[in-house]
Amino acid sequence: MKKDIDLLKKRNRRRRDLMERAGSTGLALSGFIGLMFLSVLVWQIAVPTFIEGETGQIEPASEFIPVSEYVLKWDHPTVDDDGTLIGDPVVLELTWDDDGTERTHSIAVTVTSERNLREDIVINASGVSTEAVEVGKKTKFYIQSSLGVPVDIHQTSGPVPAADETGSPTVSSFVISADVSVVVDDGRFVSHPLTMVAWLMLVFVVALLSFPMPAVLSAMEAFLNRQATVRYAIYGLAASTLALAGFTLEAWLGAGCWAVSAVGINRTLQGMERLKSQGRDVTQFDRLKHSITNREGVLMWSRMLLVFSTLFIPLLIDVPFLTERYQDIFQPYASGIRSAFFGTIWVMGIAMVVSMPVSIGAAIYLEEYAAPTKTTKLIQALVTNLAGVPSIVFGMFGLAIFVKQSGIGLGLGPSILAAGLTMGVMAMPIIVLASQEALRSVPTSLRESAYGVGCTQWQVTRDHVLPSAMPGIMTGSILAMSRIMGEAAPLVVVGAAALVLFDPEPLAGLLGGNKGFTVIPIQIYFWTSEPEHAWHSMAAAASITLILLLAAMNSVAIVLRQHFRKRLNS
Amino acid sequence: MSMLERVSKERTRYILFFTSTSVILITLGIIQTLLFEAVAFFSEVANTRGWFSFTVNLSGVASASGLGTLMLAGCAALEWRMRVDPKVLTRMPEKAMLPPKSARYAIVVIALLAWVLIDSFVLRLVLLVVLFMWRRAANVFVLLPNNANKSDRTVLYALIGGAVTVLFFSATKDYGGAFGEFFFTTQWTPTGACADRRALCENMSFGVNSLLLTTIQVAFGALFLAVPLGVGCAIYLSEYASPRLVSVVKPTLELLAGIPSVVYGFFAFIYIGPLVVQFGEYAFAQGWIDAPPNVLNPINGAIVVGVMILPLVASMSEDALRAVPNELREGSLALGATRIETTFRVMIQASLSGILASIILALSRAVGETMAVTLAVGTVAVYTSNMFLPAQTMTAYIAQRVGGDLPFGEIGYMTIFAVGLYLFVITLCLNLLGNKVLSAYREAY
Repeated sequence: MKKDIDLLKKRNRRRRDLMERAGSTGLALSGFIGLMFLSVLVWQIAVPTFIEGETGQIEPASEFIPVSEYVLKWDHPTVDDDGTLIGDPVVLELTWDDDGTERTHSIAVTVTSERNLREDIVINASGVSTEAVEVGKKTKFYIQSSLGVPVDIHQTSGPVPAADETGSPTVSSFVISADVSVVVDDGRFVSHPLTMVAWLMLVFVVALLSFPMPAVLSAMEAFLNRQATVRYAIYGLAASTLALAGFTLEAWLGAGCWAVSAVGINRTLQGMERLKSQGRDVTQFDRLKHSITNREGVLMWSRMLLVFSTLFIPLLIDVPFLTERYQDIFQPYASGIRSAFFGTIWVMGIAMVVSMPVSIGAAIYLEEYAAPTKTTKLIQALVTNLAGVPSIVFGMFGLAIFVKQSGIGLGLGPSILAAGLTMGVMAMPIIVLASQEALRSVPTSLRESAYGVGCTQWQVTRDHVLPSAMPGIMTGSILAMSRIMGEAAPLVVVGAAALVLFDPEPLAGLLGGNKGFTVIPIQIYFWTSEPEHAWHSMAAAASITLILLLAAMNSVAIVLRQHFRKRLNS
Repeated sequence: MSMLERVSKERTRYILFFTSTSVILITLGIIQTLLFEAVAFFSEVANTRGWFSFTVNLSGVASASGLGTLMLAGCAALEWRMRVDPKVLTRMPEKAMLPPKSARYAIVVIALLAWVLIDSFVLRLVLLVVLFMWRRAANVFVLLPNNANKSDRTVLYALIGGAVTVLFFSATKDYGGAFGEFFFTTQWTPTGACADRRALCENMSFGVNSLLLTTIQVAFGALFLAVPLGVGCAIYLSEYASPRLVSVVKPTLELLAGIPSVVYGFFAFIYIGPLVVQFGEYAFAQGWIDAPPNVLNPINGAIVVGVMILPLVASMSEDALRAVPNELREGSLALGATRIETTFRVMIQASLSGILASIILALSRAVGETMAVTLAVGTVAVYTSNMFLPAQTMTAYIAQRVGGDLPFGEIGYMTIFAVGLYLFVITLCLNLLGNKVLSAYREAY
């Protein structure tokens, strides 16, 4: 063969090396371009969320056009929520180049309630005609320039981007402003003292399970004979936290902290007891580590709860954009996504309740029970193909079955319930496929040994196969949920509303009431469709919020996957 | 044992079985809703315009399409002859089947020139088919002693079907009636200039090809971007990149896949659209296109959908490449091939069906993509090859039309289901094909 490498001419060899290098560089480049899109995407979404003041430029005057004009108009009137005028003047900065030296003048424009009051600003070689003007609301006024050079206009302050609800004029600010208070806010605790204690207890338990000090362990030895007392005391504290702090989110989280702490302390005490019965030193952590039942698992759950509850208990994070403000059609920058945020939570909750039991059951049947009959094959093929059906087709299914009242339609109307059911149906094939994959990865030896000791099929599935497959199933379900969280197409078809000024009522479809609802992706869609630029800033802010929420959900899935993978490997 | 006893004894089994039948119910529900309303739409139109009508135009046979029919028929005859008696090929000179390198290059250049110069779209396609048949015959010619696979008749049927279709369309024109109008005309004005838009009226016309063309432009434009980048990325990740780089790039791709489509739509609207307009203005100044560009256009949609399906292509192709046994790679390297030669002549050949499946499934995803396309492509249904003008895809029509709170039973309500059924059938065919190819490659390794 002439292609033998030793027979290649030197020139050919060099060409071959060049090809090799060029090829691998090209491949790396193609991957790099793909990743570059992501950074451009993030950057381009972040840019509009910074509100800048109004900017513009007056064209230079010339022989033919002695005076050039510039019309100033704001996208949104300088009125607050009640329609009354905000008194602060809009401050404009005019800059132009005067034979090499830069001249800057600032002008205060005060908007009065009187209509059609108009006063123009004139710029000529000697400067600006006036430093302060008064104009009526909804009235056009002009800046006229007879200079031969362009004049830059830039707004430095004024009530126009009313991003914060106090009405204080801020220019160049981030739309999603947040207030964080740690432990105390205005001299008062940000949450009930009992929940704070619960949170500290959880911190203590995490520390105890991760790297305990012998001093602490020997102090705990005193409680070895009073395990039940300790347990009931902590449960009592959990109940009193709920009762005293009211049934708020913080109270529930505090109670959760107590409960997880109780489990952690109890397991530790049991482990110490076991060591003691073997006549060993209980303060020796290397031995104790292996003596605590499922230490890894307890640690993981307590860490996850700790991270989540930290966002609510010792901190008070106030994001008015997310949890307080509704949409404001007059002032885009004072709008928020409260109804969309709660709508998203409700839709996802209903979708989860509807889809998870059914689809996990279907996966178990297909993997564990079903013989390879024609029916099974049909179901399998349908699942695989349903996962690829466009989401909008699911929306039309929901429209005909859940929303409209005709034929087999349930007639729920365009409500949260109909949306949740539609999304649940959409999530089903995804969860089934992920769960099947997880069940398939459980080794057959596990099943066979369980059958060998006389388990029934259901016992094998429940006690041995499902626990091993749980990480995969949970990861798949969370990923399916995060996918439907970002999906807007089916809900457009189901009939999400553009403007919802109340919190969603989940059962309105059945019981009557306000049926209107919206979710974050829908809000982004409608805001992007608005012609005004200000709404695009709000769409960008909502996009950032949505991406952050999705990233939070996906990171939970990743933590779970890592933990269980480590356990399976060990 | 009675039925009841059996059920009560294996209660769990039956409960689980019923959960899995819900999948059948959902599929039936989807098909039923789509079919029910679509049939209502077609019969409503057929009430006044008839089901299907056309006028015969025999002079059309003498055009380019007639030539295409003849060539296709010739190909079909060759295929049939090859199936019956492959030895007929031995009578052909070897040079015609396996020409020398210079002749091969000449043929490629002539084919490219013909592709550019020929005006008729049908004839261009037929040209590709003829080239394909030539290589197929050469394949059989080489394999003659072992004999080619006789049982596969797909190609023969496809050729005959193609010839009949081309003949039919060259000999007829002026399609009308419910089906003829929907599938074979290009005017999509479902609201029309009517006094009462809720009922069918004369001015409405339902040529879905207007929507279909934009859908195809967007989907194939997206593939044009995503396939080189995605497959390149997959090859680099599986063959070249260090494990450390893979551990950074893979989660990034997952993140790219997890970003909601409406956010991509927003991105296209504020960023890609203006960029495309800049390019379009240059093209308009040069006289390449006949109308000034708009911010909303199919190119914009194609780019953003391309970015969306890129992670899908990359991760599925990478799986396919990783599934290839290591022996193949090592064997090739041991023979003295460089890494790039190994990649392109061994690895890609071995995982071709997996990569093909990823492309087909990505195409299906691109066809069904809604929100990004609605925001990026626009809401004007036009039938034009100028990709710088606003247009409307099938999914965007559904999303835009249904947003106006359509009452049940109106003609507009029915049209979205007719379009939806067409979309469903297209994506279902693509998915079936993709999954079939996928299972074929899974069996191979």
